[in-house]
Amino acid sequence: MKIVVGQGSCGIAAGAQKVYNALENAGVQNVAELGVTGCIGMCWLEPIVDIYENGKLLHRLCKVQPDDAKNIVEAVKTGDFEAVKQLCITEDDASFLEQQTRIALRHCGIIDPNDIDGYIGADGYQAIEKVLKTMTPEQVIEEIKVSGLAGRGGAGFPTWFKWNAARQEKSEPKYLICNADEGDPGAFMDRAVIESDPHNLIEGMLIGAYAIGAAEAIVYVRAEYPLAIERLTAAIKQAEERGYLGENILGTGFSLKMRIKAGAGAFVCGEETALIESLEGNRGMPRLKPPFPAQAGYWLQPSNINNVETFANVPWILLNGGAAFAKMGTETSKGTKVFALTGKIKRGGLVEIPMGKTLRDVIFGIGGGIKDDKAFKAVQMGGPSGGCIPADLLDTVIDYKALAATGAIMGSGGMVVMDESTCMVSMAKFFLDFTAKESCGKCVHCRIGTKRMLEILTRITEGNGKPGDIELLEELCYAIKDGALCGLGQTAPNPVLTTIKYFKDEYEAHIHDKTCPAKECTDLLQYTIDKDKCVGCTMCAKKCPVGAIHGEVKHPHEIDSEICIKCGQCYKVCRFGAVNVR
Amino acid sequence: MNKIHLTINGVAVTGNAGDTILNIAAQNGIVIPTLCHHHSVKVYGACGLCVVECEGSPKLMRACATKAADGMVINTESDRVVAARKVALELLMSDHEGDCVGPCSLNCPAGTDCQGYVKQIALGNDYEAVKIIKNKIPLPASIGRVCPHPCETACRRKMVEEPISIAYLKAFAADNVLNSDHPFKPEMQPKTGKRVGIIGGGPAGLTAAYRLAIMGHTVTVYDAMPHMGGMLRYGIPEYRLPKAILQKEIDEIAALGVTMQNNVKIGKDVSFADIRAAHDAVLVATGAWTSMSMRCKGEDLDGVLGGIDFLRDVALHKAPDIGEKVAVCGGGNTAMDACRTAVRLGAQQVYVVYRRTRNEMPAEELEINEAEEEGVIYKFLTNPAEILGENGKVTALKLQVMELGEPDESGRRSPVPVEGKFEILPVDSVIMAIGQKADVSGLDGIELNKKGIIAADETTFSTNLDGVFAVGDATNKGASIAIAAIGEADKASYVIDSYLKGDVIPYRKPYVSERVVTPEMLADREKQSRGKMPVRDAAERKNDFKEITLGFDEETARKEAARCLSCGCHDYHDCSLIRHANRYDIHPDRFSGAKHHGFVEQKLQVIERNQDKCILCGLCVRACEEDAKQGILGLVGRGFDTVIKPEFNCPATIEVCKNCKKCVNVCPTGALKILDE
Repeated sequence: MKIVVGQGSCGIAAGAQKVYNALENAGVQNVAELGVTGCIGMCWLEPIVDIYENGKLLHRLCKVQPDDAKNIVEAVKTGDFEAVKQLCITEDDASFLEQQTRIALRHCGIIDPNDIDGYIGADGYQAIEKVLKTMTPEQVIEEIKVSGLAGRGGAGFPTWFKWNAARQEKSEPKYLICNADEGDPGAFMDRAVIESDPHNLIEGMLIGAYAIGAAEAIVYVRAEYPLAIERLTAAIKQAEERGYLGENILGTGFSLKMRIKAGAGAFVCGEETALIESLEGNRGMPRLKPPFPAQAGYWLQPSNINNVETFANVPWILLNGGAAFAKMGTETSKGTKVFALTGKIKRGGLVEIPMGKTLRDVIFGIGGGIKDDKAFKAVQMGGPSGGCIPADLLDTVIDYKALAATGAIMGSGGMVVMDESTCMVSMAKFFLDFTAKESCGKCVHCRIGTKRMLEILTRITEGNGKPGDIELLEELCYAIKDGALCGLGQTAPNPVLTTIKYFKDEYEAHIHDKTCPAKECTDLLQYTIDKDKCVGCTMCAKKCPVGAIHGEVKHPHEIDSEICIKCGQCYKVCRFGAVNVR
Repeated sequence: MNKIHLTINGVAVTGNAGDTILNIAAQNGIVIPTLCHHHSVKVYGACGLCVVECEGSPKLMRACATKAADGMVINTESDRVVAARKVALELLMSDHEGDCVGPCSLNCPAGTDCQGYVKQIALGNDYEAVKIIKNKIPLPASIGRVCPHPCETACRRKMVEEPISIAYLKAFAADNVLNSDHPFKPEMQPKTGKRVGIIGGGPAGLTAAYRLAIMGHTVTVYDAMPHMGGMLRYGIPEYRLPKAILQKEIDEIAALGVTMQNNVKIGKDVSFADIRAAHDAVLVATGAWTSMSMRCKGEDLDGVLGGIDFLRDVALHKAPDIGEKVAVCGGGNTAMDACRTAVRLGAQQVYVVYRRTRNEMPAEELEINEAEEEGVIYKFLTNPAEILGENGKVTALKLQVMELGEPDESGRRSPVPVEGKFEILPVDSVIMAIGQKADVSGLDGIELNKKGIIAADETTFSTNLDGVFAVGDATNKGASIAIAAIGEADKASYVIDSYLKGDVIPYRKPYVSERVVTPEMLADREKQSRGKMPVRDAAERKNDFKEITLGFDEETARKEAARCLSCGCHDYHDCSLIRHANRYDIHPDRFSGAKHHGFVEQKLQVIERNQDKCILCGLCVRACEEDAKQGILGLVGRGFDTVIKPEFNCPATIEVCKNCKKCVNVCPTGALKILDE
């Protein structure tokens, strides 16, 4: 038997390392092999311990605590799992993975990311061997073209086209760059791939480098991903030791150096030209395009940049053929896409599905619906650059074109689910606050325009909105879309535009009626006690952190609105439904 | 080199392949605005001003960065382009904190560049100073003496101690140049052959005559009085403005070829229709010459005079007999002129009857004090109830005693009668100086407003009659100060010029950036007291009409001028930002919000950087790196809080600066300044 503890950053944060240590202390190694794997993708069940027999998953134990270690060891020893039955994954939860089609994530949560042999044992490095020994670069590009693979970072540009453009450039040297500066709030697909399957990324990049003719590859990872950097560093070393990286790879004469560059935490560095500036040691600020990186990128040499997920698909495509990949998906969007499903969802985590499924499939099928059975309100796709999609568009097909038609975007895969208690104005404000802070400051529209939008949104949520603010916001949105220099600025208005498009009534309620329909904007809330319902239990008065509630025992209480900070404690503790919020 | 052909704004143009749209447009005389582009450094593309529309492209293109292609059809001024530039400029301006011009200039009704000429006076360049003043005021020696100087009211130096003595400095420089061997001569434009008739030779009429003559038009000024000057001559007493000085300045205007016809009353000596027929354009600037009545009993008695009439008669050497005891009613500047003139005519007891108190008096404080020094007695909180007389001759003034009540609309506490409380003041004559009104007789067909004076458009100064314009005291709100009439006349001159060229271009108030300054911000300034104007002793001056001020001496004037805080931006006249802002008629207020910094000055050896004015175009950063090969500057911080500072915010970097000033030369605004060495 083999016991595997899921140790992605998320698992570790949930206590996976402690569970691992407890299992070790309980002597599990005497009865079975103890190992680790990366992110399994079921965030809500972490820490997860998998028990394998002869390579087959026997039991998946969820929300495991160090105290469970003894019982687990005992169960493994005896083969009687009755004592840990309550830890075993339910059928319902197990369907989260069963409904997925995993290509980019195919090894995640299965193999040991620290062990190159685990990867090799799962068909790893077979694609690059095939490519180097049997294919020309042009054939590789053709295979990618057949697959229909498009950039998974957000823009969805055909990968073969970029590779071909870089290939066609005469100037040497050429560079291959992996964009692992995953910065969207709520997105963690790329982190999971690097932490769980770093060799897959290395292999994908090897293939890309061969295709464009690059001799140096750089992975630009945000410094906030220390575990990813650690595992990728180790993986690069292992690959070098095994001859998959370095000079004369597999005796074919092809050579590739690979290194990691840790980004310093600027969101805009996920924009490819700003990323290049940062790589060169400059402040991360976008360059004007054209020239495109394929013509003049890193050190003004031909450079190709793809994101992690794009590369993660490449070995599979080369091994299984572009046609197999293209078989999945829709007319315009091929293959699968990974999403980080978060927010007010029952089952949040990493979801990889073929293009063409609907949002409903993901949110209600795989995700199991809304937490606490509240009403679904909207889903924010693509982070701060994306937009929200409301409930009546739940049957929208996941496809670049169909999503763009709603005003949102496919994006890199952030999928934040919101329920009826989410204020859409506040949500738009959150993202604007993010983009305004992350603006590099170069162009006027982004630097000042997003700040002004944020100021307007802030005054609306604080009850100081003015008639005409919606129109002013819209005007700014279009001006910024038109005028901003890079993708960050051009897409920054999307959350505002889509919320105005689908939830204009909420904006109007804030501005004209000075109310927040979702009851989230505290400045607009008014807490009162219904005298007829209040029995004078004093619970609310005891809980009130500022002493705003007074009244005698067994007599109706009252809230002093001058003192009230609208924290909502009274509302939560009242067992008689006597506290009203307006 | 390969040539390409494209169309810009409907015109077929040719350019070199590989060149940008911006350059090809410029080579063909089409200016595309930009703030972050300079030929000495690499393309940056940050300001978003150079956007153009290209047929077939859904997005606007940055002309600075986009290479032109053969066959492109480009529009550099489409509605979409203009709207985009407008928003870009409004956003930039919403975060731009500075004073384009000083508060002095903003508060001057004529918009005189006070800071500019005060600076020249400080440097000893009186001729340059007069040149700047005459850009707005053709009578600086006269106006410098009589102007109630709204400029000084607004002067920020008063937050340190006292305002700059701007008006007297003007008179100082003007006197020096007027009396020098090289009096000021403006540069004249070629003759246009157009004839302009100006009715009224007061400050407004003379200003328009001066300006229109310079523009090449043939100007004739018609005036009903024996001499030109209007109220400056007939309303302001000799002791404040000697007629000889006024005449000298009028002569300078006449010397430009302006014909001056006196003793011509329109409607009497010549008809308005004839005047209109004889000229291509007519400007009515007849002023307000009728004293307003107090509407109290006894006004028809012998010895009751209108303030304006009284002053005019004295100026015409036809001083009326006012007796020993004189009451002047009113608290304004005309009241002051009347009471002090009465003193000089030998009256023994001169009273000023005013219904409020000294604090509310609209007259200048200096004059109130000087009149008192000369023996004038103030009767505050009294109001004429009736003029008493015997045999048709004034004997006394019955005064209603008043007290101050609640503040009125103007903020002044309004006077309320104390019921039944009266006072009798025995007097020989009563001078009513409570206001004046225009006499519009003779101007047949001209449309009047509700007040019965000429209705003129506020931006074109045109009347209901084609080719007839009107300014000054005879129009709209009525009587005001000379500099207000001069300001209107100056603006109207440009409108008339445009009218004569066939297209009326209304006056548009230029957009300027302004900031709020508090005394705390000026706390570090060294206190220097205001230069004192020497005046003749009251005992001596009250006996004659000779000028009471003696004028600044050279040292006082230069020192006084040097006190100026130079509030206005040194770069105003060369600032690309304000030029574009005005070209695109922006309204940044709609985007008003936080500004990225307080009043920050950062010195880089001899170069001073004002973060508040910086628009982050990055030109200085690039000039330092690419042109000067230093790389001292960099952008620091993120988002809205980004500023330009020594690279990596490392002050030690400044030591490397070679003071090549390349950064200053490329700065499109006044954010960078070379400190005076």
